[in-house]
Amino acid sequence: MKRTLPLLLILALVVVFAYLFATKGVISAPTELRPLGKFYLEKCMIGGDFAAGSPEAVTSILWDYRGLDTLFETSVFFLAIIGSLMLFSFKVKEVVREQELTLVVRSVTKIAAVMILAVSASIALHGHLTPGGGFQGGSALAVAPLLVLVAFSRKILETSGLSLKRAIVIRSLGLMGILLTALLPLTLGGYIMQNLPIFPKYIADQLTSGSLIFYNVFEYLAVGAGFTAVFLLISIPEKNFVEEEK
Amino acid sequence: MNPEALGKVIFYGSSIALFLIGLYIILVKRNLIKLILGLTFIESGVNLFLVSIGYVWGRTAPILNKPELMETPSKLAVDPVPQALVLTAIVIGVAVTAMALAIAMLIYDKYGTLNISKIKELKW
Repeated sequence: MKRTLPLLLILALVVVFAYLFATKGVISAPTELRPLGKFYLEKCMIGGDFAAGSPEAVTSILWDYRGLDTLFETSVFFLAIIGSLMLFSFKVKEVVREQELTLVVRSVTKIAAVMILAVSASIALHGHLTPGGGFQGGSALAVAPLLVLVAFSRKILETSGLSLKRAIVIRSLGLMGILLTALLPLTLGGYIMQNLPIFPKYIADQLTSGSLIFYNVFEYLAVGAGFTAVFLLISIPEKNFVEEEK
Repeated sequence: MNPEALGKVIFYGSSIALFLIGLYIILVKRNLIKLILGLTFIESGVNLFLVSIGYVWGRTAPILNKPELMETPSKLAVDPVPQALVLTAIVIGVAVTAMALAIAMLIYDKYGTLNISKIKELKW
């Protein structure tokens, strides 16, 4: 009750500030695109020498026009993951889970995990055509092992083949893929991270937008496996894991 | 108020509100997990603000999936640049949150508490 008045005051301030921002032009609300955005929109699909070969302007910016930006943001991301991997030098104590989750939760998790895998692959592979891409697909991919972790246990995940070591290996493979795709144009006489004349725009009559699809797939693997590794670390192992009846 | 201005008030208002809620949590709360939650609130506020700056009223997503969009994209689509920047910011934010949670787990392992006022070594 004591805090109601200050909170209401803050709320009123927020509304007033937002009104000023929106109507009085403190920050000029755009009615036209900025020149940079206009350039990217007009050139991303049909721009001659400047084309990225993809109708998705955001992905074109992400992996073609501002590709180096994304490359270094990816390295920031993986430094964070490496940091959390390094921090876990101590051994987490095993605990006994007193009550396992009900059959309903476990069955739904089994179905949902498989569907999440399919949806995340679709998000990643359509990244150059529809909203989506490697980052989003990878984040969605990491939800599936997280669900299994919560509904079953860490050991179920490890006995079914997804151990910490394997997740780190997949993550490293994805990173190597990104690096090789970025360096490949140099060996063919192009620039680093060059897209279109080096990589084909169509593969077997499908629009693959040059290197965009490769970046998306490798980023998908790297982000998904990186998050899975961190989730495996943060999770607490259980002594009494229940063997699922086949 | 016309719907355009109302929409902008809602966009900017909710981003400012999210930022202030996060700031409030960081300043007032003592639990490390709640501090990390406050950080994610601030991050969401900033991301929402950036995306709404790039939004032009009544336009569609910057994906050229129709013939008329292909012909005059700069008249029909919103600004793609802030969206591309926010996209990576979100994922990096999640990774940084995971790292912060890992540090919180380490602190709990070492001190047996998450209350920052009880961790003596943090004081000077």
